[in-house]
Amino acid sequence: MSTAIIFGLLLALMLTGMPISISLGLTVLTFLYTMTQVPVESVALKLFTGIEKFEIMAIPFFILAGNFLTHGGVARRMIKFASSMVGHWHGGLGLAGVLACALFAAVSGSSPATVVAIGSILLPAMVKAGFPKRFGAGVITTSGALGILIPPSIVMVMYSVSTNTSVGALFMAGVIPGLVMAGMLGLTTWYRAYKFKYPRQPRVSFAERFQAFRDSMWGLFLIVIVMGGIYAGLFTPTEAAAMSAVYAFVIAVFVYRDLGLKDVPRVLLNSANMSAMLLYIITNAVLFSFLMTHENIPQEMADWMLGEGLGMVAFLLVVNVLLLLAGNFMEPSSIILIMAPILFPVATNLGIDPVHFGVLIVVNMEVGMCHPPVGLNLYVASGITKMGITELTVAVWPWLLAMLAFLMLVTYWPTLSLWLPRTLGMIS
Amino acid sequence: MLMRILDRLEEIFISFLMGAATLITFVAVVHRYLASSNLIPITSVQDWLLQFDLSWAQELTIIMFVWMAKFGAAYGVRTGIHVGVDVLINRLEDKKRAVFIIFGLLAGAFFTGIVGTLGAAFVWENGAHYAWLQWLGQDPGDIPEGPTTPDMEMPTWIVYSAVPLGSYLMCFRFLQVAWNFLRSGELPHHDHGHVAGIEEEAPPVAGEEDRIYRMEDDLHPHKLREPPFDDADGKGEGK
Repeated sequence: MSTAIIFGLLLALMLTGMPISISLGLTVLTFLYTMTQVPVESVALKLFTGIEKFEIMAIPFFILAGNFLTHGGVARRMIKFASSMVGHWHGGLGLAGVLACALFAAVSGSSPATVVAIGSILLPAMVKAGFPKRFGAGVITTSGALGILIPPSIVMVMYSVSTNTSVGALFMAGVIPGLVMAGMLGLTTWYRAYKFKYPRQPRVSFAERFQAFRDSMWGLFLIVIVMGGIYAGLFTPTEAAAMSAVYAFVIAVFVYRDLGLKDVPRVLLNSANMSAMLLYIITNAVLFSFLMTHENIPQEMADWMLGEGLGMVAFLLVVNVLLLLAGNFMEPSSIILIMAPILFPVATNLGIDPVHFGVLIVVNMEVGMCHPPVGLNLYVASGITKMGITELTVAVWPWLLAMLAFLMLVTYWPTLSLWLPRTLGMIS
Repeated sequence: MLMRILDRLEEIFISFLMGAATLITFVAVVHRYLASSNLIPITSVQDWLLQFDLSWAQELTIIMFVWMAKFGAAYGVRTGIHVGVDVLINRLEDKKRAVFIIFGLLAGAFFTGIVGTLGAAFVWENGAHYAWLQWLGQDPGDIPEGPTTPDMEMPTWIVYSAVPLGSYLMCFRFLQVAWNFLRSGELPHHDHGHVAGIEEEAPPVAGEEDRIYRMEDDLHPHKLREPPFDDADGKGEGK
C-alpha cells in the first residue's frame, strides 16, 4: 500500500515538470509527515550526511577534470588521431568519428558535450567529403554515448555510491564492454559505408600517425592516470579523480594552451554548477532511499519477485525494459539514483554480480540517450546538424539496433564485463 | 545593485570552494607520497615534510564540497540546471504550461524553505544556541555545546549551517526565478552541450547561434513568448 502511495506521489510530482531532486524530497517529506511517526527533524540531518562521504566527492573532481578538457582543441586532436588511424578504411571519416567520440567522451565525461564537440568539427568535414548528412549524424549521436561506459565515468560513480559497489572494479569492468561496443558501432559504420560505397581517406604515413598520437596522447593519459592509479593502489578513486583534475588543468593550460589562466574561474564555476546539481539529486535520492528502507520496500519487492518465481533471465529482461522506459523521461544519473536501490537487492538475491549489474545499467543509460523522446544526444545532435528529431531518429536506427544487440550481449553474458576485474583480482 | 553583489559573491564562493578542495586533495596526496616513500633521498626534506600533518585534508575537502553543493544548488536554480520531467507539460498550451511551471517553482521554494527551517532548528539545538549565549557572555546552563568534527575539531554546527543557509538561498532563488517568469515569461536555461573552442571552426550565423535554446527539446522549460514548435513533422527547424 505505502509502496503505491510513495511511487504514485513521486510520479505525480515529477510529471508536473518540477526538478527531479525537488520531487524526490517533497515525496519524502509528505509521506513522513502524513503517514509515519518518523520525526521530520531527522530529515535535516540526512540532508547533510547524505553526501558526507569521501567516495561521492569523486563526482565533482571528475566533472572538473572533464570540463578542463571539454574543448574544441582537444576534440580536433582526437579527430586527427582517429582519422589517421582508421581513415583509410571503408567509411573512413565515419569510423574516425566513432573512435574520436569514444576517446573524447572518456576524457570529457559528458555525452552531449562529445556530440557537440566532435560533431560540429567532423560533420562538416564528412559532408564535404561526400558522406550523406544522415550517416554522419547517426554515427556521432550514438558514439557520443560511449563516454559513460568507458572510464572514468561519473554515472558509474553514482551507481557505486548508491549500491556500495567498488568504483575501481566498475571502472575496470567497463573497459572491455566499452571497447566491444565501440567495435560494434564501428562495424555498423564500416558495413554501411561498404554497402553504399562511401568515400575513404588516403592512407597516411606512419610518421603522421605518430605525430597525431603524440598530440592527443596528453589528453588520453588522463585515463591512464585514473585507471593505473586506482589499480596500482596509488590512489583511492576520489584521489585519482582529484589528481586527474589537476592533471587536466596542467594539460589544458600549459601543454595544449587551449585555455588561458583567465578561463579557469569560468571552468571552475561551470563545474561547481554541474556538480552541485548532481550532488543535490544525490542528497534527495539518499532521503528517498532512506524512506524506502524505512518502509522496507526493496525487501518486499525482492520477496515478491522471488515468490513469483521470477528467474534471473526474466528479471534482467524486466530490468532492461524498465530502464529503457525510464530512459524516455529522465537523464541517467536520476534514473540510477532512484532505480538502483530498488533493483539492487533483488539482483543480489538472484545471485547477479553487483559489478555486472552496474555495467548493464550503464549500457541501458547509453541506449536511453540516443532514442526519442528525451535522448539528450539526439537533441544536441539535432542542434548541430539542423535536422529534425524524427529525421534524426531514422538516421540513428542502424546504430541504435547495434546498441540494443550489444545490450542483450552485456545482459546475458556476465563474463564480458567481469573477466577483466576478475583477472586483475579486483573482485572474486 | 545589491542583487548583483549577491550574485557575484555566490559565484566566487562556489568557484573558490571547487578549486580549493581540488588543490587540497592534490597537495595531500603528493605530500603523502613525498613524505613516506623514498622518492626524495634527502632526509632533511623528508623530515621537513613530515612536520606537516595533512590528515585533516579529507575532512576539509568533504566540508568544502558540501558547502559548494548547497550554495551551488542555489546558483543552479538561477542558471536553470535543475531539470525535471517536462515532456508532458511541454505539450500543453502556454497558459496551462505556465501554471505548472509556477507550481514547480513554488514547490521548489516550499521544499527548500522547509528544509532550511529544519536545518536551522537542528543547527540551533546542536551548538549554535550555546555559542550564541557564550558570545553574549551569558551562562549557557545545560544547553548542549554540540559535537565537533573528528579531525579538525571544528564545531559541527558551523559545518552544518550550510544546510539552512544554502537552502534559504535556494528558496530565494526559486522565488526570484518564479517572479521573473511571471514578469517576462523567461526561464533560465542551461545548455548541456556547450563546448568552448569550436566557435572559430564555424562562425555563428546571426540568429542561428542560439538555436539550441529555441529548440523544442522537451528537456528544459523554454520561453513562453515564442510560438510553440511543432516537431511532429520532423523538421525541427523551430517553425
